[in-house]
Amino acid sequence: MTELLITIISTGFFATVIRTTTPLLLATLGGLIADLSGALNVALEGMMLIGCLTAVIVSVYAPWYVAVLSGVGAGALLGLLMAFFAYRLKADIILVGFAINILAAGGTVFALALATGGDKGTSINLQSQAIPPVDLTFLSGIPIIGPTLSAMLTGQSVVTWIAAFLVFAIWYFLYRTPWGLWLRGVGEYPAAPEAAGIPVTKVRTWSLVVSGALAGLGGAQLAMFNYVGFTRDMTGGRGFIALGAVLLGARHPVGATIAALLFGAFDAFAIVLPGLYNWMPSELIRMIPFIVTIVALISFSVRAQRALALRGVQ
Amino acid sequence: MSGNVPTIDENSRWAAFRREVGRALGAAIMALIVAFIVVLFTSKTPLDAMMQLLTAPASKPRTIGLWIDDAAKLTVTGLAFSLVFQARQFAMGVQGQVYIGAIATSYVVLGPLGSTWAAIPLGLTAAMLAGAIYGFLPGIAKARLGANEIVSSLMLNYIAIELCNLLMRTDLPKASAGVLTSVDFPKEAVFPPLIPNTRLDLGIGLAIIAVVVVWFALYRTAWGLKLRLVGHNAKFAEYAGIRPTFIMVSAMAASGALGGLLGAMFVQGQTYGKLTVLFEGGIAFEGILVAIVARSRPLAVPIVALAYGYLRQGAQLMNIRTDVPAEVIGVVTAIIILLVSSSFSLNFITRLFRRRDRATSVPAGSVVK
Repeated sequence: MTELLITIISTGFFATVIRTTTPLLLATLGGLIADLSGALNVALEGMMLIGCLTAVIVSVYAPWYVAVLSGVGAGALLGLLMAFFAYRLKADIILVGFAINILAAGGTVFALALATGGDKGTSINLQSQAIPPVDLTFLSGIPIIGPTLSAMLTGQSVVTWIAAFLVFAIWYFLYRTPWGLWLRGVGEYPAAPEAAGIPVTKVRTWSLVVSGALAGLGGAQLAMFNYVGFTRDMTGGRGFIALGAVLLGARHPVGATIAALLFGAFDAFAIVLPGLYNWMPSELIRMIPFIVTIVALISFSVRAQRALALRGVQ
Repeated sequence: MSGNVPTIDENSRWAAFRREVGRALGAAIMALIVAFIVVLFTSKTPLDAMMQLLTAPASKPRTIGLWIDDAAKLTVTGLAFSLVFQARQFAMGVQGQVYIGAIATSYVVLGPLGSTWAAIPLGLTAAMLAGAIYGFLPGIAKARLGANEIVSSLMLNYIAIELCNLLMRTDLPKASAGVLTSVDFPKEAVFPPLIPNTRLDLGIGLAIIAVVVVWFALYRTAWGLKLRLVGHNAKFAEYAGIRPTFIMVSAMAASGALGGLLGAMFVQGQTYGKLTVLFEGGIAFEGILVAIVARSRPLAVPIVALAYGYLRQGAQLMNIRTDVPAEVIGVVTAIIILLVSSSFSLNFITRLFRRRDRATSVPAGSVVK
């Protein structure tokens, strides 16, 4: 037990948590935007996966930032596709989402096999690049906390810092700008903004595009920093966990960040635990985030029901 | 779909049927055209690849066997999705139920009763029970606690897969250490082949029975009527004295039993005859396509499963015989789901053939809307 505690309170573990949280946080923010606009974006998983592969393949031929941007673009395009089918052609958004997931699961393996010349498992023989880490060693100049801060924060990806900024930006957008109010209004009760002359479908479409772009950015981070290179099904349910994290975070950007950090911590556990306790089956450790998501989901629903009862709605 | 048009007289029913077939075919043709364009850009022998995709499954008795076997499995997963879709639930847990069902079967048939005549019935019962319980969980979590069934059932899928991996690695008897397959099941526990040296086995019989049972339950019992009512209009059903939560949970449990049955069909079938990790290979989710195209109608499910199974098998054979990876079928699947569940294919078909029944073309909602 002591080894575990020592590992967890070490700066190295904290750095690992930040690293594992970043893709999940971006997907969670994407899920949050879609959720607040009134759409459950079940396609986050597929959008991330396609973002991963796009970023990896582009990074073979172009600088890393172009690769990241193309991952973002791929996600945004999928969001647009989803909006087109769900809002323009009136398909059920859940079915559209699963169609995108199926497209991603098959399409990425197909494209990977073409790009690598037949390898359907990994992109190991592609020379893909990584996102550069940000050097913050100058922080160790700060007295007392300096060295700790530097150890925790140095070497994180550029995208991590973008993600941290996005949490603030999204909060500001949602709660301090008129468009944020529109978005929340559209998700809450679409008839009212419609009557007020707000372009409901446009707001919803943009929400899905942004949601997809965020998931794509998360995918790029996953395949160009957390792991360098693409592996079949490498998102491993992160997009679905993000849906749980949105609810656990009470549908608020800050809450969503805390929830994503929690799941990121479990991810980091899964990395350090096998080294500490080799009797513990890795399958059980990998199950933990999924079990936590179910618990989170139930606790959110109970809380929401209680809030409704308090307001006397039910 | 059943809800859009009150199909009382034979004529309108026939028209609705024709319209649905038109939509499905239109979507499939569109999807194949897209697939062809993809193949054209990526393959050195695009025409050969498309020929393989479209003709290979029916070319030899062995490939026909593979095709029918796939179709039987697609039928069962399609039925499982149809049941929950008709109740307007988006439980996505068939994949997890398949694994849990297969695990349950494996423990039964590798136990003392595995080499007796009771192995097959007991294995099936265990699988269906385990699957039903696994389907019940997200149902009861939604009914009692309001937990979203989509997310919880997806999480249960991942948990079931990890559980299967864990038990395979640590507990189930294996032929040799390190392999990720169990020992072969006893001969009595494996479905007997209907035609020797093919994969045609008892699974097809089970799929046909499942179709009839689900059809009967949905259209000839009070439970089925209530289920469809809840699916169409839960509020109305509630005012009519039906408890929507009970119907919802029982539909999800029944669908879970079908998922479990599919698990048993996998591991007890001629294809495997043992448990392996990741044996399911993503087929469970393709039941979404089958259910959507069949408009959640149990009697249409096997037909759609046959057609889709043909394409799926064609893609596998194309993968072996040409340079096009089988996963291109994922593109086809996604396009078909998108087109059939939206109003796109309807408009497309009407514009293409200038059909006269524009007046009857109701706004095509999705199956569950």
